[in-house]
Amino acid sequence: MDRLFEALFLGLSAGATYGLVALALVVVYRGTGHLNFAQGEMGTLSAFMVWWFHDKGVPLLLAVLMGMVFGFLLGAVTEVTIIRPLARRSLLAVFVGTIALFLGINAYTTGVWGAPPDEVLDSLFPNDPDDFVRVFGTVWRYKDIGTLAVTLVITALLFVLFQKTRFGLAMRGVASNTDSARLVGIPTGRILAGSWAIAGALGALAAVLVAGNQGQVTPTLMVTVFTYATAAAVLGGLDSPGGAVIGGLLIGVGEALAAEFAPGWIGQDMKLGVALLAIFVVLLFKPSGLFGTAKVERV
Amino acid sequence: MIKIKQGSVGHWAIRLLWVAAVVAFVVYIPTKTTSSTVGDMTLAFEYAIAAMSLNLVLGYTGIISIGHSAFFGLGMYTTAILVTRYGWTQGWTFFVAAAITFVVGALVALPALRLKGIYLAVVTLALGVLFPTLVRWDKLEWLTEGPAGIDSVTYDDVPEWPILGELRGREGRAVFIYWLAVLLLVISYLVARGVVKSRVGRSLIAIRDNETAAAVMGVSRARTKTLVFGLSAAMCAIAGSLSATRLNLASPDIRNITLIGSITFLLIMVLGGAATMWGPIVGALVYVELDARTRKAGETGEGIIGKVFNDWLNIEGSPATLVLAILLLVLMFVAPFGVVGLLKRVVHRFVIILPRPAGHPIDEGHLLTTTEAAADVDGVPPEPDVNVFVADPSTTSGEPT
Repeated sequence: MDRLFEALFLGLSAGATYGLVALALVVVYRGTGHLNFAQGEMGTLSAFMVWWFHDKGVPLLLAVLMGMVFGFLLGAVTEVTIIRPLARRSLLAVFVGTIALFLGINAYTTGVWGAPPDEVLDSLFPNDPDDFVRVFGTVWRYKDIGTLAVTLVITALLFVLFQKTRFGLAMRGVASNTDSARLVGIPTGRILAGSWAIAGALGALAAVLVAGNQGQVTPTLMVTVFTYATAAAVLGGLDSPGGAVIGGLLIGVGEALAAEFAPGWIGQDMKLGVALLAIFVVLLFKPSGLFGTAKVERV
Repeated sequence: MIKIKQGSVGHWAIRLLWVAAVVAFVVYIPTKTTSSTVGDMTLAFEYAIAAMSLNLVLGYTGIISIGHSAFFGLGMYTTAILVTRYGWTQGWTFFVAAAITFVVGALVALPALRLKGIYLAVVTLALGVLFPTLVRWDKLEWLTEGPAGIDSVTYDDVPEWPILGELRGREGRAVFIYWLAVLLLVISYLVARGVVKSRVGRSLIAIRDNETAAAVMGVSRARTKTLVFGLSAAMCAIAGSLSATRLNLASPDIRNITLIGSITFLLIMVLGGAATMWGPIVGALVYVELDARTRKAGETGEGIIGKVFNDWLNIEGSPATLVLAILLLVLMFVAPFGVVGLLKRVVHRFVIILPRPAGHPIDEGHLLTTTEAAADVDGVPPEPDVNVFVADPSTTSGEPT
C-alpha cells in the first residue's frame, strides 16, 4: 500500500510538469492551430536565463519571475517575426519553422552551456534532506508538493483567464473563427502573440521546476519532458486545457506505477514507451483525444 | 523565351545532355578525386535516399513525419543482425530490410488514416523517440546488443573492387560501396518517379491539396496513404542498410537513428526542394558540403562563420547544427521551394517545355456523329440512348417510380 501511495504521489508530481508544458502547447494550439515543437527548448533557454540572473546575484524567486518575463517576450517575438509570416503560407511551413527553432535553440544552448562546469540551480522550494511530511507513512517532499501545487494554481488561473476575462473571450473567439473575430473588432494579431507569450512564460516556469528537481540546468533538460507533454496534450485533447493537465497527471502516474510494479519489464528505460504506446492507442480509437472536440471540416 | 515541345528532338537533346552531365559527375568522383570525397559523396547519396523517401510522404502527400529515423534505424539493424547473427551476405539483407519496414510503415500509417496534420506528427514523433529507446532496452539485448550496438558487420565481405579508377585495397572497398550507393539511389529515384508520375502520384497530390475533395473524387485515402507510407518507410530502410554496410556498425549512438536524423532528412528535403524529384539529391549534396565546411570553420575559428559563432555568440565546438537551423529558417522565408524549385523558376522564364495535349488528337476530316460512329463499328444501327445516370427500368422489378 505504501509503495502504491508513494508511486502515485511521485507520479502526480512528475505529471504536473508534463501538464504545465502540455498547457503551454494547448494555449498555442487553441490560439493558432499549430503545435510548437520548440516549446520545450524555449523553456530550456528561459531556464538558462534564470540561472544566469541568479548567478549574477539576483534572488532566486525574482530570477524566476524575470525568466518568465523572458519566456513571455520570447514567445511573443517568435509569433510575430516567425510564425505569423509562415502561417500565411501553410501548416507545413510553420511545422518546419518550429522544427528549425527546436534545432537552433538546442544547438545554441549546447554550444554555450554544454561543456562543464554544470549550471547548478536550486529548487524553488525548501529541499534539504529533512524537508518532507509523512502522509500515510509515505514521504512527500516539499519540492514535489510545491510542483503539484504550482501546476494546480496555474491551471486555475488559466481557467479564470479563459472563461472570465475579456482577453479570454477574445482568445476563444479567435480560436473558433479568426476572420469573424477580426470582423467584430478583436485585435487578432495581439491575441495570437498573447497566446504565444503566455505559453512562453508557462514553458519557462515548467523548465525551472524541472531544473530545480534535477538540481541543474542542462541543454537536454526539456527534451524528454516535451515528448511526455506532447503525449499528455494529445491524450487529453489538443484544444482542452483541463484535458492537458489531466493527461499530464495520468501519464505521470502511469509511468510511475509501471516503473514501480513492473521494474523488470519497464523500469526507468521503457517508461517513455508506455506513455507513447498510450497515445498511439488513444489516437487509434479517439483521434481527438479524451477531452478534445472533434474537428469537422466544411467543404 | 524558348518554347520546346515535349517529345521533340530539342526536348530529347536536353534530356540526353542532362543524363550525360549526371553520369559524368558520378564517374568523376571515384576516378579523379580522393577517397575522402568518395566517402562524403556516399554519405550524401545515403542522405538523398532517406530524404527522397521523406519527400514521398511529406512533399507529395502532405503527411508530416518526424519518425523516419526509426525506419532508417530498422533497416540498419536488420542488416546488422542478419549479417552478424545469421551469417547472411549484405546484399540480400537489403531486400529483407525493405520488406520488414514496408510492413511496419503500413502499420504506422493505420492511425494516419484517421488523423490529420499535427496529430499525425505527434504519432511519428513518438515513433522517432521510441526507436532508440527500444534498441537500448535490456529485454531486447539478445537481439540488438543494447547500448553497445552491433559492430563488425563483416565489412570484409564487401569486395575491394573499385569498378572504375585507381583506388585499391580499403579505398577500393569504399569506392565499391560508393557504387552500391549510386545503384540504390538510381533505383530509389526510378521508384519514386514511377509513383509520382502515375495515377497513385496524382492521388497523393490530390490528398495533399485537399483531402476531403480527393476522397469525394474517388481517391481511396486508406489504400493510397498506407501504400505510400509503407513504400517510403522501405526506401528509408534501404538507406539505413547502406549506412550499416558503410559504417560497419549499428548502434543507438548513431545520430541518424535518433530524432536528429529525422530532422536532418527534413532539412535536406526542404533545402533541395520539397515535392521535386531532384530536390532530395541536390539537397543532400549541398548539406554534406555545408556541414563539412561549417565544421571546419568551427574547429579553426576562422572565416566569417568562426568569427560570428565562436567569438560573438560564444559557441564552443562546432556551430554546424546552429548554422543549419538558421539556414532552414531563412530558407522557409526566402525560398520555401528549395534550391531545385528556385532553379526551376529561373529556367522557366527562358525555356518552356510545352506538354503534349491530353487525350487523342482529333482528326477533323473524319468527325462522325455518334450514330454514325456506333454504326461504323459493327455495321448494325445502335440501340436507342440509355442514360447511365438513370436506373434501367427493366432491372428495378416493377417498383413504382
